[in-house]
Amino acid sequence: MRKLSKLFMLLSALSFAIPALAQGTAASAPVNWVAIAAGFSMAFASGICALAQGKATAAAAEGLARNPAARPGIQLALILGLALIESLALYTLVIIFAKVK
Amino acid sequence: MPEQLWFTEILNRLFGGAVTALLRSLSIEPKHPGAPITNAFAMELLVFSLLLILFLLVRSRLSVESPGGLQHLFEGVEGFIQSQSNEVIGHHSEAYTPFLAALGLFILSSNLIGLIPGFESPTAVPVVPLGCALCAFVYYQTQGFKHAGIGYLKHFAGPMPALAPLMILIELISHLARVLSLTIRLYANMFAGDMVTLVVFSLLPLIFPVAFLGLHIFVSLLQTYIFVLLTTVYLQGAVGEEH
Repeated sequence: MRKLSKLFMLLSALSFAIPALAQGTAASAPVNWVAIAAGFSMAFASGICALAQGKATAAAAEGLARNPAARPGIQLALILGLALIESLALYTLVIIFAKVK
Repeated sequence: MPEQLWFTEILNRLFGGAVTALLRSLSIEPKHPGAPITNAFAMELLVFSLLLILFLLVRSRLSVESPGGLQHLFEGVEGFIQSQSNEVIGHHSEAYTPFLAALGLFILSSNLIGLIPGFESPTAVPVVPLGCALCAFVYYQTQGFKHAGIGYLKHFAGPMPALAPLMILIELISHLARVLSLTIRLYANMFAGDMVTLVVFSLLPLIFPVAFLGLHIFVSLLQTYIFVLLTTVYLQGAVGEEH
């Protein structure tokens, strides 16, 4: 019974997509695929950049906790690493600004 | 006629005719003959002259017995860059401090001048970070040649002579990619900061944008530090010796 009700809830959620069939076959304006791809690619870039920076920060914090005397070296490596990872996400942003009208 | 800042308009009124004539004599046609000096160029000139006045001021007030506040500030800057390049490069790194300090101060002032209403950051235009990156590139290559003579080219050949043809190609591309990455990192940070500030101002014009201006200050400082640090690391790759 629970499984059946879950199945019906899923089907009713999917039926929200019905109005898309009303559009028919006429394309009133060409779809701007560049903008859609730009949105997805920027989201991917930012998400993966955040994961990588989280890993770098966690490693730096753990290293600092184990050996507080090594603070200058760890701080240098952390800042350098974070900036390099950040710049990879920024390359995606620059391509978007160059290509999306 | 493009949209000009007040400083750009003053410069164009005074020097516009002469600059257009100079560009035409080099067979370059300016995009707007009435206003050949762009906003970015005018802001660069302003930053340059302000820094020059500041340096001359400090220089005239140098004293051993009773240093003033400005001297303390510049000694701090010099000490910071000197200690960092000592840590990265090692011995004899004092020779590189003037260039790194000048580069760092120029980029920092260019980034921060955008916060003042009526001015804009020259580094928010792609050409200016490209200029800074090319200066850094030419500097570390010439320092490499000065340090090792023609033997500097061995750096591009890789660990084994058998791999040299492949390694030369890879090293060449990676060195050019350094220029690209320095440029785009600085440009994208400044440009994205401007965009974010614009968006936030259009949403909540009253109190919250102050946080984003603070973010812009932090990002300016961080990006200047990263630019100077990476130039130091590239210098270490060019002149560093493994004992």
